[in-house]
Amino acid sequence: MPDNEQRRSDAQDAGERLVARHVREDPFAAAFKATRMPMIVTDPNQNDNPIIFCNTAFEKLTGYSSREVVGRNCRFLQGEETNSETVGRIRDAIAAGSDIAVDILNYKKDGTSFWNALFLSPVRDDRDKIIYFFASQLDFTNVKSREADLAAARHRAEEEVAKHTEKLEAALAAKTLLVHEVDHRVKNNLLTMASIVKLQARKTKNEDHKQVLMSVLNRIEALSTVQRKLFTLEDVSRFDIADVAREMVTDLVGATSREDIRLTLDLHPVYVPAVKATPLSLIVNELVGDAIKRGLSDGGGDIHVVIKRLNGHFLIRVEDTSVPVDVDDETTEIGRILLENSAKQVGAKIEKRVEGHRTTVDVTLLVEAPQENDS
Amino acid sequence: MLLAMELESEVELAGHHVTATAMSRSQAREAVSIERPEFAFVDIQLQDGPTGIDVGRDLADEGIPFVFVSGNIKKIPNDFVGALGAIEKPYTVAGMKSAIAYISGVIEGRSDLPLPASLVLAEDVEIIRGGYRVS
Repeated sequence: MPDNEQRRSDAQDAGERLVARHVREDPFAAAFKATRMPMIVTDPNQNDNPIIFCNTAFEKLTGYSSREVVGRNCRFLQGEETNSETVGRIRDAIAAGSDIAVDILNYKKDGTSFWNALFLSPVRDDRDKIIYFFASQLDFTNVKSREADLAAARHRAEEEVAKHTEKLEAALAAKTLLVHEVDHRVKNNLLTMASIVKLQARKTKNEDHKQVLMSVLNRIEALSTVQRKLFTLEDVSRFDIADVAREMVTDLVGATSREDIRLTLDLHPVYVPAVKATPLSLIVNELVGDAIKRGLSDGGGDIHVVIKRLNGHFLIRVEDTSVPVDVDDETTEIGRILLENSAKQVGAKIEKRVEGHRTTVDVTLLVEAPQENDS
Repeated sequence: MLLAMELESEVELAGHHVTATAMSRSQAREAVSIERPEFAFVDIQLQDGPTGIDVGRDLADEGIPFVFVSGNIKKIPNDFVGALGAIEKPYTVAGMKSAIAYISGVIEGRSDLPLPASLVLAEDVEIIRGGYRVS
């Protein structure tokens, strides 16, 4: 008798002996045979640990008949794409006589593969000797393919997101470049406008013309200062009026080169949205410019500028002590129009008080932008 | 070159002599070789591109002090390539005047002058850029 045949026959005998120990009515044996869970029993005490028994569910799953599997080691279920590392883990568990639960790719008789959730466990006798190995198989190919589908879908979605992100980043870079370019041009144009006016003021022989041109230059420069401050902001909704006022006022007073005009400041950060920056800066510019004009025609004086918050409102106050003299009507009129229009634009209230030498102008308006805590 | 012309008039009004104005890196090199200036104002965007930074490096190599004049201070390299500082565009007449006065003082060796708001010193750049100072 050839070896193979002998082995098969030995295994079959072992299987039959195992079954013979159970009477026909033994519910455990009946359950083993009838369950929908594919199961096998192997005999580690025979050469190469052959299968000695398989149930109907196993036959159905693998396509092999009991006759074909009994006497063979389980490795015939393995195939080309079976992970050898997983096989190694099963081999180690058998050698160690321990339980193991692994997912392994197995192959049916017709060559199709299936994902097998294998559970393998030794069966011991009274003396703790391993007499059988019991193994159950569970085909979870469907779960596995759903997982693969999900992974593929996730992968596609991620690719899509990456593609969109790339597009958005490119668009953002282009927009940023554009903003920088526009900002650069706006700045250069403001400076060029100022230069043209300045050139004309420098060349004219007419003092009145010169004064008119210088007052135009002054307003262009107020806008320039706003533009310069605006672009250094991280957040255009938070423009600090006190910051621009400090620079503007210091500039204006400094430009007079008059030591008898004394400037004091009481400035606290007040944040406004960028859209309000221009009208508010023009307000500060007009108020301080007016105070300087009076100081110039008088014999100097004190100018005090306050910017601070007052419960939900904020206050711009320009106070000066110089003999109030009327500057020429035209200048006063233009200053008034600019001031009133700017105030109207931001919904500010203007209040002017004259007490002897002291002129106080209060501009109050609602604060909308979120304010930082006092620091 | 209206801006350069007006700057020239401001510098002369402050009592200084303008040795030359240049519109490109090569013109700047030539101008410096003809008459060495005591100080230079360097716009970053010149006719041959953003070569003002290179002009700054050339000046630093020559040991000529200078400031950048730029609409975007953030474009200047972190080390300011040896510039004293930068005047941000669009500057005002008064702002430029006070910057010139400060610079004149520094060249004459004065260190007690208050820094005008129109001039950002190179050593303060970290404050402007990231809200902290390295040194």
